[in-house]
Amino acid sequence: MAYQLYRNTTLGNSLQESLDELIQSQQITPQLALQVLLQFDKAINAALAQRVRNRVNFRGSLNTYRFCDNVWTFVLNYVEFREVTELIKVDKVKIVACDGKNTGSNTTE
Amino acid sequence: MANSANTNTVPKLYRSVIEDVINDVRDIFLDDGVDEQVLMELKTLLPRCLGICGWHSLWENKLMQSRAVDGFHSEEQQLLLQVQQQHQPQQQQHHHHHHHQQAQPQQTVPQQAQTQQVLIPASQQATAPQVIVPDSKLIQHMNASNMSAAATAATLALPAGVTPVQQILTNSGQLLQVVRAANGAQYIFQPQQSVVLQQQVIPQMQPGGVQAPVIQQVLAPLPGGISPQTGVIIQPQQILFTGNKTQVIPTTVAAPTPAQAQITATGQQQPQAQPAQTQAPLVLQVDGTGDTSSEEDEDEEEDYDDDEEEDKEKDGAEDGQVEEEPLNSEDDVSDEEGQELFDTENVVVCQYDKIHRSKNKWKFHLKDGIMNLNGRDYIFSKAIGDAEW
Repeated sequence: MAYQLYRNTTLGNSLQESLDELIQSQQITPQLALQVLLQFDKAINAALAQRVRNRVNFRGSLNTYRFCDNVWTFVLNYVEFREVTELIKVDKVKIVACDGKNTGSNTTE
Repeated sequence: MANSANTNTVPKLYRSVIEDVINDVRDIFLDDGVDEQVLMELKTLLPRCLGICGWHSLWENKLMQSRAVDGFHSEEQQLLLQVQQQHQPQQQQHHHHHHHQQAQPQQTVPQQAQTQQVLIPASQQATAPQVIVPDSKLIQHMNASNMSAAATAATLALPAGVTPVQQILTNSGQLLQVVRAANGAQYIFQPQQSVVLQQQVIPQMQPGGVQAPVIQQVLAPLPGGISPQTGVIIQPQQILFTGNKTQVIPTTVAAPTPAQAQITATGQQQPQAQPAQTQAPLVLQVDGTGDTSSEEDEDEEEDYDDDEEEDKEKDGAEDGQVEEEPLNSEDDVSDEEGQELFDTENVVVCQYDKIHRSKNKWKFHLKDGIMNLNGRDYIFSKAIGDAEW
């Protein structure tokens, strides 16, 4: 099972909204939408693992940290994200990170 | 443009993911009897939703370019939809019946997915008297115990025709009993000291083509009062800073029953009330430094700034509050939780390779992440960060 972590991203949310619209208009069933989301999980996990090859560095101050169910949640303040091409500054960012070692043991929601 | 790299790769990646998902899902759609047209609709809905979600930079250009094509398609789709609406009501009736019948068994199937994983090796080793089964999440709350009383009660409760019993020894040494009923369904017993059993039946297709009914029974609750089925909630420690003193409220481990929750809530409230009460006789002044009732009160009041903060704020309108303000404003360090609840929160969703901490210096090694910063999306395969707590 791939992580369902990426459902709360722009892409994941837009997929869920689209599926909700189709459910509203009764063109698909919620069960089918769930299958689509599961497929999305696999696809996005695979795509990120294989098709992306870039590095980012960041520095900031840590406001809070939480480690629960093998998921780290951080809130950082005044962070600078640095990529080769650009610099991004934010006042506050939340980082949610699942365990990257064994990506097969996530429980379903 | 300096940010051309990311603005090129991100939409490309999204497109490829959309394509992959659509293609993979096509089979599922067809299996479910859903028209290909719906699939196409999903495909076109996705980019539009992406645009709505504020993902402007490149999508606006793409939309401008392809607006002509999109418009053409949307008209086509509207015509097709009108034609389809005549056929859809008939199809939907069939779908509803079909799905309704499937709904109930399917609802319990996910719950039993884990048991299926546990039982399938069991069924394959039908002849072995003992089967080693990997620890599953079903057995988290099991206690090792004898089978006698619980098992006999359960076997009596079983429908007639239940015959041979297999014993399954899990990795943790817990003893399960797998009873194979005459109709081919398998029951699992999870013996516990308290008389709670879970019976879970895996639906199996019989030769006659009739599915065995899906049953999930949970026998009577415990005398102990703590239900093992529910999880255990560990109340976080509460640390009260009462001036120079700190009081730590011990962690309480409680099941999520209302009674116990109330107890822990009141338990937490009481210690909070007590410090205020114990301080009451010492600190009389509550309304600002301008009060000339007694000088002793002023000194003691400064020691308990944090607790009296709320009271002071209420009396802010009164005289003599000038000296209090600087003391008050520096005290509250913690952020409100409400600050985290606004729209464009910058979020990074990723996986961690290694998180390291040395005193208050944290190092993050992250990978495969999607970032939404200042409204824009970024992606990385590796991210390394430093932060001080």
